[in-house]
Amino acid sequence: MSQTSSATPLISLSRIWIIAGNTFTHLVRMKIFYFLLIFVLIWLGLNVFKLPYNAGPESLSGVGGEELRILKAPLVGTMKLFALIIGIVATALLIPRDMEDRTLYTLLAKPVPRLDYLLGKLIGVLLLVFSGLLVMTLLLDGVVWVRTQAILIEFDKVSQILVEQGQWTQDDRLAERAELLSHGVTWSLQGAILILFFEAAIIAALALLISTFSSSTLFTVVISVLTYFIGNFIADGLDQLQGSSSPGEGNIGMLAVKAIFVAVPDYRPFKIVDEVLTGQTLPPDILGSLAISTVLYVGLYVILSWFVFSRKEI
Amino acid sequence: MSVTPAVQVKSLVKEFKGSFGQGRIRAVDKVSFEIAPGEVYGLIGPNGSGKSTTMKALLGLVSPSEGSCAIFGRDSTKVDSRQDVGFLPENPYFYKHLSGEETIRFYGKLCGMKGKALRDRSRELLSLVGLENARSRRLGGYSKGMLQRIGLAQALVQDPRLLILDEPTAGVDPIGSRQIRDLIFKLKDRGFTVFLCSHLLEQVQEVCDRVGIIHKGALVKEGPLEDLIAIEDQTEVILRNATPGLLDKIRELTRQEEGVELLRTGNSRTTLERLFLRETMQRNQRYPEEAGSESAGNPEVQGGGYS
Repeated sequence: MSQTSSATPLISLSRIWIIAGNTFTHLVRMKIFYFLLIFVLIWLGLNVFKLPYNAGPESLSGVGGEELRILKAPLVGTMKLFALIIGIVATALLIPRDMEDRTLYTLLAKPVPRLDYLLGKLIGVLLLVFSGLLVMTLLLDGVVWVRTQAILIEFDKVSQILVEQGQWTQDDRLAERAELLSHGVTWSLQGAILILFFEAAIIAALALLISTFSSSTLFTVVISVLTYFIGNFIADGLDQLQGSSSPGEGNIGMLAVKAIFVAVPDYRPFKIVDEVLTGQTLPPDILGSLAISTVLYVGLYVILSWFVFSRKEI
Repeated sequence: MSVTPAVQVKSLVKEFKGSFGQGRIRAVDKVSFEIAPGEVYGLIGPNGSGKSTTMKALLGLVSPSEGSCAIFGRDSTKVDSRQDVGFLPENPYFYKHLSGEETIRFYGKLCGMKGKALRDRSRELLSLVGLENARSRRLGGYSKGMLQRIGLAQALVQDPRLLILDEPTAGVDPIGSRQIRDLIFKLKDRGFTVFLCSHLLEQVQEVCDRVGIIHKGALVKEGPLEDLIAIEDQTEVILRNATPGLLDKIRELTRQEEGVELLRTGNSRTTLERLFLRETMQRNQRYPEEAGSESAGNPEVQGGGYS
C-alpha cells in the first residue's frame, strides 16, 4: 500500500486532459452524435448536388458571388446549428448523467478537485465541437473551392470577351475577379467558422453553469436555448433603441438591456459571421476581440460553475 | 507514539433542507467513531439511518453541518485526503464505453499513475478481481457482479490504505457475493483498512473486526464485534478433548458455587443479526410514532428480512 503525502494541486492540466479525453471519447461513442453527423453530411451533400453549374453571364462577379453566397449560407448555418446543439446538449447531459449513474462519486472520491472535473468536462465538449467543425470546414472549403474554380473558368471566358468588346477595362476585369474570389475560400471564411466555435464555447460554458444547479437535463437545455435567443433578441432590440427618437426612453431601455447582458451573453458582435458570408473581409482585430470576449465569458461561467459545484452536496 | 487512526469521525452532524415548511432534517446526529489502521469496520443500520451520508461526509461529497471527519489525519473536506482512499459506491455504473482495462487505467491516470506502472497495476487488479478474460470487453456487457468487481478494482488502483465499500454485494447473486466477500478477506490479510456498509449482516459478522449500529442518524452501539455479540452475564468456556468425567467435575464445581449455573455447553453467543434487530426494534417500541413512518418502507425492520 502506498503512503502518499504530496499535496493535490488545485488545477492539474494532465488530470483535466484525462477527463476531457474521456468525455470526448464518451460523446463520440454516443450514437446520437453519429446520427447528427450523418444528418449534417447528407445536408451538405444535398447542397453540393442540387445547385447547377453556371455559365455565361451568371459567372460575372455579381451573380457568381451571389451563387457562392447562397451555397455557403446554408452550409455555415448547418455548422452553426451543429456547434450550438452539441455545445448545449452534450454539456447538459454530462454532469446530471454522472450523478444519476453515481459515476461522479467514484471520480470525486479520487484526488480530483471539482474544478478539474468541470474543466475536463467542458474541454471534452469543446474538443468534440472543434473536431466536428474542423471536419465540416474541410468539407465546406472543398465544396466552395470546386464551385469557385468552375465559376472562375466561366468568368475568365466571359470577362475576356467583354474586355475585347471594350465594355470592361482590364482593371475592371481584375477588380471583378478579386470581388468574385472574396466569396470563395478565404481566411475570413475560416475566421467566421472560428467565431461559430467561440459562440458554441460560450453557450456550452453557460450550459455547464446551469447544469451545476439544475435538477434535470431538459431544464438545462431549455434555459440554455432561451438565453441564446434572449441574447440575440435583446441585441436586435438594443440596435433599435439606439435609433430611438425618444432619448429618455431609449436610455432607460439601454440600461435595462445592459443589465440583462450581465447574465446573458451579448451575441451582437458574433453576427459579423453573416457579413463575412456576403464577402466582407473579417478584420483580424475583430477576431482578436471576439476571442478575448469568449475567453472572458467562458472564464466567468466556469468560475461561477465552480462556485456552485464546489458547494454542491452530491 | 500514538498511531493516527485511518478514519476519525468526531461529533458528525449532517442536516439537509427539508421540503417546504418542514425545516431541517438531521440525517446524522453527533456520530463519533474511529477505525484503526488495518481494521475492518462495519457500519450497519436500516435504510435511511444515515450510513451513506456518513460515508459521503468522510469522502468529502457532502460537507458536515457540525463536527469533522478525517482520513489518516487529513481533513475529509480537503482533496488531499482522497489520495489514501478507494471508494466503491452502492450499485455503481461506470462509463459503458470503456472496457474493464480502460476503466482501471482511467481511474489510475486520475490518481497520477502512468506508463508501465499503470499497465502492471491494471493487470494485477484484473487478476485480483478475476476479470482477466473480460479485460477488453466494454462495461456495457458486464453483469452486475462483474461491475461490482471492476468497481472494487478501480477503488484499489492507486493502492490506497483505506477502502470504503457501500453495500458491495447489493444486487449480486450468491456466487458473486461470495467472490466479493473473499476479496475483502484477501484485502484484510494484506493489511488494508476497510470501512464497510452492508445489509448482509452475516457477511459483516464474518469479515468485520468492529461494528457500529446506526439508527435514525445516531450511533446506538459501537465496539469490537466479539464484545458486542457476547452475552454479558454468561461465560463461555471452550475446551478441547474434554472427557465426560471432566465435564462432570465442572458441573459439580458450578453446583458448589452460589448463584452460578451451568446452562449448556457450546456456543452461547447471539448473532449479529439478532443484536441488530434488538437495537433497532427496542427503539421502535420505545418511540412507536416515529417507528411507524420509518418502518413502513423498511422490510428489514418489520422483521421480514431477519430472524
